[in-house]
Amino acid sequence: MGGQIYRIDRDRARFKEVVRGRIREDLQRYLASSELIGKRGDRVVSVPVPSVELPRFRFGSNESGVGQGPGEVGDAADGRHGEGDAGAGGAGEQEGTHILEAEVELEELASMLGDELQLPNILPRGRDELDASGGQWSGIRGQGPQSLRHFRRTFRRALVRTIASGEFDPERPVVTPIREDHLYRALKPKPRPESSAVIMHMMDVSGSMGREQKDIVRIEAFWIDTWLRSQYRNLEVVYIVHDAAAKVVDKETFFHLRESGGTKISSAYELCLDLIKDRYPPEDFNIYPFHYSDGDNWSARDTERCVSLVRDELLSRVNQFCYGQVKSAYGSGQFKKDLDTAFPGEDALVTAGVDDRAGIPRAIKAFLGQGR
Amino acid sequence: MREARRAEDAAAAAGLSFFEVVFEMLDAADVNAVAAYGGFPTRYPSWRFGMEYERLSKGHEWGLSKIYELVVNHDPTIAYLVRSNSLMEQKLVMAHVFGHADFFRHNAWFAPTERHMLDRFEEHTRRVQDYIERYGQDRVERFLDVALSLEPLMDPHGPQRRFRTAQSRAQRGGAPAGASQVERSRANLRLLMGGDNPAPDPAGPELPTFDLLTFIAEHAELEDWERDVLGIVAAEAEYFLPQRLTKIINEGWASFWHSRLLTGGLLDPSELVEFADCHSSATQAAPGQLNPYKLGIELFRHAERLGLDLFRLRAVHNDVSFVDEVMDEEFIERSALFVSERPRSGDGSRIGTRDHVAVKQELLRSLTWGGQPRIELVDVSGGGSRELVLRHHHDGRDLKLDEAAVVLETIERLWRAPVKLITAEGDEERRLTVNGGDVQVRGSEGPPSALPSRAG
Repeated sequence: MGGQIYRIDRDRARFKEVVRGRIREDLQRYLASSELIGKRGDRVVSVPVPSVELPRFRFGSNESGVGQGPGEVGDAADGRHGEGDAGAGGAGEQEGTHILEAEVELEELASMLGDELQLPNILPRGRDELDASGGQWSGIRGQGPQSLRHFRRTFRRALVRTIASGEFDPERPVVTPIREDHLYRALKPKPRPESSAVIMHMMDVSGSMGREQKDIVRIEAFWIDTWLRSQYRNLEVVYIVHDAAAKVVDKETFFHLRESGGTKISSAYELCLDLIKDRYPPEDFNIYPFHYSDGDNWSARDTERCVSLVRDELLSRVNQFCYGQVKSAYGSGQFKKDLDTAFPGEDALVTAGVDDRAGIPRAIKAFLGQGR
Repeated sequence: MREARRAEDAAAAAGLSFFEVVFEMLDAADVNAVAAYGGFPTRYPSWRFGMEYERLSKGHEWGLSKIYELVVNHDPTIAYLVRSNSLMEQKLVMAHVFGHADFFRHNAWFAPTERHMLDRFEEHTRRVQDYIERYGQDRVERFLDVALSLEPLMDPHGPQRRFRTAQSRAQRGGAPAGASQVERSRANLRLLMGGDNPAPDPAGPELPTFDLLTFIAEHAELEDWERDVLGIVAAEAEYFLPQRLTKIINEGWASFWHSRLLTGGLLDPSELVEFADCHSSATQAAPGQLNPYKLGIELFRHAERLGLDLFRLRAVHNDVSFVDEVMDEEFIERSALFVSERPRSGDGSRIGTRDHVAVKQELLRSLTWGGQPRIELVDVSGGGSRELVLRHHHDGRDLKLDEAAVVLETIERLWRAPVKLITAEGDEERRLTVNGGDVQVRGSEGPPSALPSRAG
């Protein structure tokens, strides 16, 4: 069956290529949808690929079927009900109805994103000295090629052995290294400091941020994480939510929490600054704070406080400070204007407005397009 | 293979008969590959087999499905066993295989099938590979995708009808005297089919027809290799067709016999519990769903209680006629069957009714036409337009219009002339027209509107 297995490998590889092609084609759509979120493992993303199915004449949603089992009329029929699975009618065609998920390497997805939005690679900030070489020939080991034989160490071992065994004759100091004496130079891996980064997602969860606004934030955060993960070997992500007060939360909470009440953006910026001071020294980390809100702040005074925090404390410590303003029914959108006015021409501060899902790719491009 | 001998003897003693059955052992990992190719070692290169393999492997990995066996309708009948199965499982599988082998040989719907398909598949593969070398992988692959998306557009009863016509012609003196029935029919079938390459029909198109794929292969302006690829896809689909039409009865028959043969002596008493476990997991239904193995075996047992001739049932029926003959009120009640309905608003389906007439009707409807929508080519406009007019025989189930539009676009590109589909949404007629890649949908009256483009 060897031939067969070889063939399936080829067809399978081709299938994966097709899938990648479709994802690439549909990337704009994925960029604006939450389909991929929650599908991400450490190294791979499972991408649902319904579009790989060949188009066919199929029955639509009003298909009924026959099922089997207990229950009263009107009860849930239980089990999934798609075409073909409740009715035996689809028996021959069931295979067509499953949505397949294809695994794509995170790295690869990021590179598709990079191609699509033409994102430059990031030059880690002031880290040239960390790019040390991979190792030095300072190690020693028992095996190796003759060209790397360490003569002095080999001779010394042979000498020690000869003396210890009593064969050494000072009158005739001949030392003959045997095989066990040979020592060779070896590459001693020098731990290479890897560039580390931390993303701080800060989200306004006050009453005016609705479900759709949070979804947009979530999608943006997903793609930003995906991209930065491809740029840094060590990436930490910190989630902060705030209304009138800020706190660090886990990922789950970040995306589902709904608070209500006032909005004091400075609370988040202060927490962000504290975290940098305590846990993420700028000498060791590339720091990326992202803040998302609908643009309403509690008071002009708090906005001033935010501006001074960003100007005096944050900008000097971070790679780039990003503010994404998601349009909501209630938000005035004032905060973005305030930031733009306060920091004209400041490269390290990027603001982007997102009206709806379709605006997500543009915001991502704005945030990541500078290669900082 | 001593066990295979025992199982074969037991099956023969019970009255089953079959072509020679050849067992092949496979590693568990390789079974998915063979299954992805439909049981045939040689298939043309296509990413769709890779996709099928991926799906099967995932199902296996996640414990959703496990392939115990794979039987290929062929002379000799080829059966793949999984090496890692226990001895009891192998016995069960072998008994099951002899059930399928008997079914393949005697069921009327399999009579027209090519029994030497191995050679044909190899020949197809060779030709497609040749085209790939000549015209490039991308081009051939794209065309194969087109052909495969039209694959279901065939008359499921066509092969059977043509076979019968050929047979009666043979009885009028076409076949050599003394030839066995199988030989006669095979000879005639070859005569009738004239290879895979459908030659252009000099008499002109016969309309209406459900054999849309063949019609296009015969009458569209295509390059020779494209015509050949359509023919290959049609021939392979035709080969697999009877299996789609006989899922319940075929699995029911095989399960009925594996159960009977094993409990009738093949089983060692120490294996009884393992057998019960294995058998019941194969024939259990997930809540609310129908399992063809379970439904089939229960129908055969019911038929036995009713005093019907089981061997006749397996010889003459497909799923539709089998259910129609055997399923009665008592059966429906005892098996707790119901019609599930999906409310237009809200998700999830509910138990609609347990009325036996409604249940049977619904089941028959879902099985009819191989479970596919019935799409008929009713007309080709005269004059210069050559417009194809298709009609969907609406039986209460709507088509997915957005996806249908994509299929129509595909047909239009092949046919190089406009295509129209007449269907309905609920009670309202819908006409989808594709002209120059431009899709329009309209009701029986009212202005046309552009179809919202397919999401995805």
